[in-house]
Amino acid sequence: MIRLVPNHASKIKRRDKVGFTFDGLRLEGRRGESLAAALLQAGHLNLRTAPFGDAPARGAFCHMGICQECAVRIEGRTVEACRTELTDGLVVERVS
Amino acid sequence: MSYDIAIIGGGIMGCATALRLAEGGMHPIVLDQGDLGQGASGVNAGTLSLQIKRVQLMPYALRGHDLWAQMGDAVGFHKSGGYTLAFNAREAELLTERQTLKAEAGAPIEFVSNAQLRRAAPNLTQNVVAASYCAEDGYANSSLTGQYYRGRLQDAGIAYRTHSPVTAIDKTTAFELATPQGTVRAKRLLLAAGAWLKPVAAMLGVDLPVQARVNTVSVTERMPPLMSSVIGHATGLLTMKQKANGTVLIGGGWQGRGTPQDGRGTVASDTLRPNLALAQYAVPSLGSARVLRSWTGFEANVPDFYPLAGALPHVAGAYVLGCVRGGYTIGPYISRLMGDFILGQEPELPLFDPGRAYTKEPT
Amino acid sequence: MSGDYDVAIVGAGPAGGNAALAAAQHGLRVLLLDEQPAAGGQVWRAKSSAILAAPATEESTAGTSLRNRLAQSSVTHLSGARVWQMSQDDGWKLEVLQGGSSETYTAKKLVLATGAREYVQPVPGWTTPGVIGLAGATALFKQNLRAPGQRTVVCGTGPLVFYVASEIRRLGGTVAAVITPNARMDWACATPALLHRPALLARGALWVADLKLAGVPIYWQHAVTGVDGDTEVTAVEFAPLSHDWTPEASRVVIRADSLCLGNGLIPQIEAAQMLGVPLTHDAHLGGWVPRAAPDGVTDVAGLYLCGDGAGIRGAEAAVHQGTLTGLRIAADMGFDTSTARDSSRALWARAARFGRAMTALSIPRAGLARLSKDDTVVCRCEGITKAGITQEITHGAGSCNAVKSGLRAGMGPCGGKFCQTAVAQIICTETGQDVAQVAPPTARPPLCPVPLDAAAGAFDYHALPIPKPAPL
Repeated sequence: MIRLVPNHASKIKRRDKVGFTFDGLRLEGRRGESLAAALLQAGHLNLRTAPFGDAPARGAFCHMGICQECAVRIEGRTVEACRTELTDGLVVERVS
Repeated sequence: MSYDIAIIGGGIMGCATALRLAEGGMHPIVLDQGDLGQGASGVNAGTLSLQIKRVQLMPYALRGHDLWAQMGDAVGFHKSGGYTLAFNAREAELLTERQTLKAEAGAPIEFVSNAQLRRAAPNLTQNVVAASYCAEDGYANSSLTGQYYRGRLQDAGIAYRTHSPVTAIDKTTAFELATPQGTVRAKRLLLAAGAWLKPVAAMLGVDLPVQARVNTVSVTERMPPLMSSVIGHATGLLTMKQKANGTVLIGGGWQGRGTPQDGRGTVASDTLRPNLALAQYAVPSLGSARVLRSWTGFEANVPDFYPLAGALPHVAGAYVLGCVRGGYTIGPYISRLMGDFILGQEPELPLFDPGRAYTKEPT
Repeated sequence: MSGDYDVAIVGAGPAGGNAALAAAQHGLRVLLLDEQPAAGGQVWRAKSSAILAAPATEESTAGTSLRNRLAQSSVTHLSGARVWQMSQDDGWKLEVLQGGSSETYTAKKLVLATGAREYVQPVPGWTTPGVIGLAGATALFKQNLRAPGQRTVVCGTGPLVFYVASEIRRLGGTVAAVITPNARMDWACATPALLHRPALLARGALWVADLKLAGVPIYWQHAVTGVDGDTEVTAVEFAPLSHDWTPEASRVVIRADSLCLGNGLIPQIEAAQMLGVPLTHDAHLGGWVPRAAPDGVTDVAGLYLCGDGAGIRGAEAAVHQGTLTGLRIAADMGFDTSTARDSSRALWARAARFGRAMTALSIPRAGLARLSKDDTVVCRCEGITKAGITQEITHGAGSCNAVKSGLRAGMGPCGGKFCQTAVAQIICTETGQDVAQVAPPTARPPLCPVPLDAAAGAFDYHALPIPKPAPL
């Protein structure tokens, strides 16, 4: 099929894979990518539950560090997954 | 239409006095330059602590606490108890001296041992040298002030206008108040404009010695349980409580910048930072909390730090009510006294003559 | 206190980056602060270090060029640096969060080039994981070169919706459908402006032609009305819109695992608001904008604004306004830059006309508000529904501040950045006020959540400047 917009997926070269954990699950991602992207790629869009009502699921929304929906816990601190670089062995926990 | 009384200022003082006056049969109107309860009444830290009330105001504060308890959930009232902490010998001395006098004035304050403190508040720093406790202490949610009094005014059928700054006051046989929405006429006038009292009184040619304090408050994101009581500091320069939703509110009267006249108070990092440091020193695990918001509120202040409550000097039919230091706690009660005074009744406790000499404390 | 600069610039996108370059060319000591790992802003966001190689795009090329010029300049660029508080004495003092601690920087002049975020009209299910902002999607593409899912619905206004759909295809993803509230006629009306930008017109036409060739359905004058799925998106529901964007009764459901949703860019005004810059409402510039001249001058002495944060006019206008602002600051500090400013101003005016025409495609119409249902969450942070907000307003809360105080809508971690446009819209609906009469809530520092220990800084208790005790 003719594509006017080429598929570049195969032309993107990524760094090596590193392991990390999310809520105890062992996952892999690319070193240096955003944690939100790594979690997305690993199939984890549901990152936390909102602290009210029947605790609805939430995931990355603005990807710009504004909305705080992708908040996760790393080393006892709340950080935005979209603004966190993936490093080898990162231990990521749910906020609530 | 002419009202029995026009009240300038829709904070706790103005609204609660209006309610008392309406109970007494008067028809008041409340005017606010913005929304109801958005000044000091709505942006203070919400602390209801007898331990930080002035000795002479204790009878008023005790009755104020009762009224807040009655308002209950609608204002987010929680009687959590409160600890006041001293971190060194000098502060311990201060704590002992001050809390003893407050206890003698009727506040149920006791001194607690370190062991008691640890059991009750395990997340506090180990560096506490002395501590006092008052079971009556607690807090309410000041951001609900506007919503609460709006409902009360509506239920009582009391007229109010928001976004209605008074730009001029003419006194003939009655008071004529110019506002952008038209002239309001009333037989009497109550100035309850908080930190804006000075410019408002100036429209009647009266110089009130009111200046504004610019108090800073901060709030964190939701945190796991860190404290179940209000935490204060011997100097009064820290108040802290964790709300039911997990957020931690940090105050203590650290001064930001700005003036009521220019309409904008701003947080100053050179006072915000030590305010937060003091909070972190008291509860070290608070260090990992993210601060979401800091803000300032303008609090009226006069040279002797006592309320203004009584007749406005030199202007018949005009009154003034402003409460410095503890206005949130005392407000609902002193407003009743003020209402009774305007209704021609003897207040249960004495008022504070706005025409007094401010150089020394009133007797 | 770290370093005293002539100019501090907040935001290293097209506007801030070029303001920095222009000021530095005149020998000014420039501090450029940006929260991202590299300069470029949202539009020219840099690839993450996870990308070793990838085909260039127009945006990546422009970003690389800016980053190279900054690297070769005398500009001090701090990346990963979030300004959380600003104040003015003789000059400006900025509190900057970087790597878990906070530093103070000072400068004589301050430029805010804080850019845009986006408005997303709340619809049932928009909080479901897998729903992301339309502009947010572009951040994901540019930084991480990842598609938002396996099968994505893209819905939004203006050119962005087609750009996002096209990028998903470029990155190997599948676009289930493109849905846009705009009618073909809206684009026909924008053609005069587009004709002045033939390259952009051609690019847009290519995106649409590619989608058509690929058999991706494009639903003009439609909008997403709901999202299915509790913990992840399973399907997206949409409907045709009337001329004023009121959803009509019929519904179409399409299977998807992700949704990119947006209703246009809005300026990030909080920093300017905190510093007392008066706001005006201009729908053609994205809503509430701080008042600033084309050369960045504001009513606040020593404070300048440029780029989308001063009104959505697009990247090209931002470039020229950034340059113009940098030149204006140089002039204010004693350098003659009048000739260069004249040419920048002309370039800016031309680009700004185009930007306004593009922004116009996203101006919310009256019916858009009806996409939010009574039980739709409006304030994501605190879970406050439209019905709750409506009730608060009917009980007398007539301003964004009053709604915020009474309900906490806007008091959560995002600070109201994703609900206040909708709150103002509901106030308008309930009170009959025009959107230009409903001011945004008072902006409060910090500009972003800041760890308390970082804000407090290292301290010695005994050295804390504790004032004298309150009166006894």
